[in-house]
Amino acid sequence: MIKTVKKAISNIVLLVLYRALRVLSQHDSRVRNEFEALPEGFTVALRINPSEGEIRMAKVNGRLKRIGKRDDYDVLITFKGIDAAFKVLTGQMGVARAYAEHRFTLKGDIGVTMGLVRMIDIAEAYLFPRIMTKRILRSVPYKEKSTLTIYRKVFIGV
Amino acid sequence: MSMYIPSYFEFVNSAKLLAGDYALENITEEMSLLGSSRPFLLSDKGLEKVGSVKTLLDIFSKSGLKVSGVFTDIPLDSSILKVNEIASLYRKANADGIIALGGGSVIDTAKGLRMLISQGGKDILKYAGAEVLPRGMNVPFTVIPTTSGTGSEATGVAVIKDEEKEVKLEFISSYLLPDVAVLDTRMLESMPPRITAITGLDALTHAIEAYSSMQRNPVSQAYAIAAMRLIIEYLPIAIKEPHNKKARLAMANAAYIAGASFSNSMVGIVHAIGHSVGAVSGVPHGEAMSILLVPSMKYNVNEAREEYSDILLYIAGDVYASTPNENRAEKAIEVLSAFVDQIRTMAPVRKTLSEAGVKKEDFQKIANRAINDGALIVNPRAADRDDVLRILSEAF
Ligand SMILES: [Fe+2]
Repeated sequence: MIKTVKKAISNIVLLVLYRALRVLSQHDSRVRNEFEALPEGFTVALRINPSEGEIRMAKVNGRLKRIGKRDDYDVLITFKGIDAAFKVLTGQMGVARAYAEHRFTLKGDIGVTMGLVRMIDIAEAYLFPRIMTKRILRSVPYKEKSTLTIYRKVFIGV
Repeated sequence: MSMYIPSYFEFVNSAKLLAGDYALENITEEMSLLGSSRPFLLSDKGLEKVGSVKTLLDIFSKSGLKVSGVFTDIPLDSSILKVNEIASLYRKANADGIIALGGGSVIDTAKGLRMLISQGGKDILKYAGAEVLPRGMNVPFTVIPTTSGTGSEATGVAVIKDEEKEVKLEFISSYLLPDVAVLDTRMLESMPPRITAITGLDALTHAIEAYSSMQRNPVSQAYAIAAMRLIIEYLPIAIKEPHNKKARLAMANAAYIAGASFSNSMVGIVHAIGHSVGAVSGVPHGEAMSILLVPSMKYNVNEAREEYSDILLYIAGDVYASTPNENRAEKAIEVLSAFVDQIRTMAPVRKTLSEAGVKKEDFQKIANRAINDGALIVNPRAADRDDVLRILSEAF
């Protein structure tokens, strides 16, 4: 696949992932618990090097919001390149495998990041078909809400 | 048993190893080649008391090495305040390199000091995480371990406490590896049997978890195999005969090799829970490993079946040959369980979490910590709070 296509898709998925996390941090009890454990003002960015894409978010007034560029984030996950990022973002590679393969660097508290990874795992269970998540996650989290409900909220917003 | 080839892996073990007779005498030459003639020595009060610091300084002066300063007031947990304090002494002494003599606490503190000096004294907390620390300036760094367990002399990992935020931050970077690791039995003989036992079982746990982790690769597995073989053969001897140089050196080698292995393929759930049991209930690290190893392996057995079967071959070749393939993983756990029991008959190592002082009412706290431990990320089987609680109950 050509790089520009990978880049375009990866950026769409980054956005979808953010929206899924925002929805799930209200509608899925496990994601909500993880989210509530984060301090107010907590910032996290997912970046794809070299400048292939980035999504930045923060906990603002108890809700997940997108934020503008900052000098520093509490947690910054940077994929070293678009190819592995694309695999992770399209459900072909789990976060644990990506970590094992050194596909990204992580700046910040590793303990806090473990909670973020659990949130992303749950989001993937909703976003990707089980046939894919079964392959990339060591155990697939169950879905508290129907996929359709979550899809509707993520993509349509109601 | 076919060997596992990951689709991609990395491996780094850049520390030069000096292991065996007159290793300490060769430090002068190594530091000089690295550009250090005025190294700063870090150690701890205990080692000062038993005379290890003096022995080392005597060897240094005979081999023409002058240290520019000695610091031994090292806390159990290395912290950013302590690192800053030592850094100002380091600068005042006009030092040009670091030598660490000690166990995990001294080595972690030395890694923090090296990080700070090599980054020009800037805030090092921003390098917390994985693979974000740049190399920085050359600060020659030699580590002499005084226990045979943590393997910290061969790992690119350091844990440093941030007092302000009251968190322990983990740093993972190949630039945390020392330039030289020195294994010399003269610095190891003072270890009492209990410390020999629990640090040795820590090293064994490193080898087993590294061999079976999601991040395993042919190089890290080769290291893990060597470590397991050495430990199974020599740990009982090192406990029984504290002055047996061959056994002491074998265990020092094993701890180093296991350290290099897990630095490249990580540890797993034994460590995730063990760190938490240590932090919440104060169980010494190696003892926590010895208690949690078997219940954790039982938890992992289906996901790590092939790796555990291999392990049986390396720790008990005759048993491997006489055990049908489908039973080998369970048999490996049995053999390891018997080995840990054997060690317990030779040195005071507690058998259960309750004996080690863990309280049932702390289980939730321990489990909440364990699931946030980075060691869990590449454990062969995923684990949530309830899984950790079940393992804790079994080990209680
Ligand atoms: Fe350990």
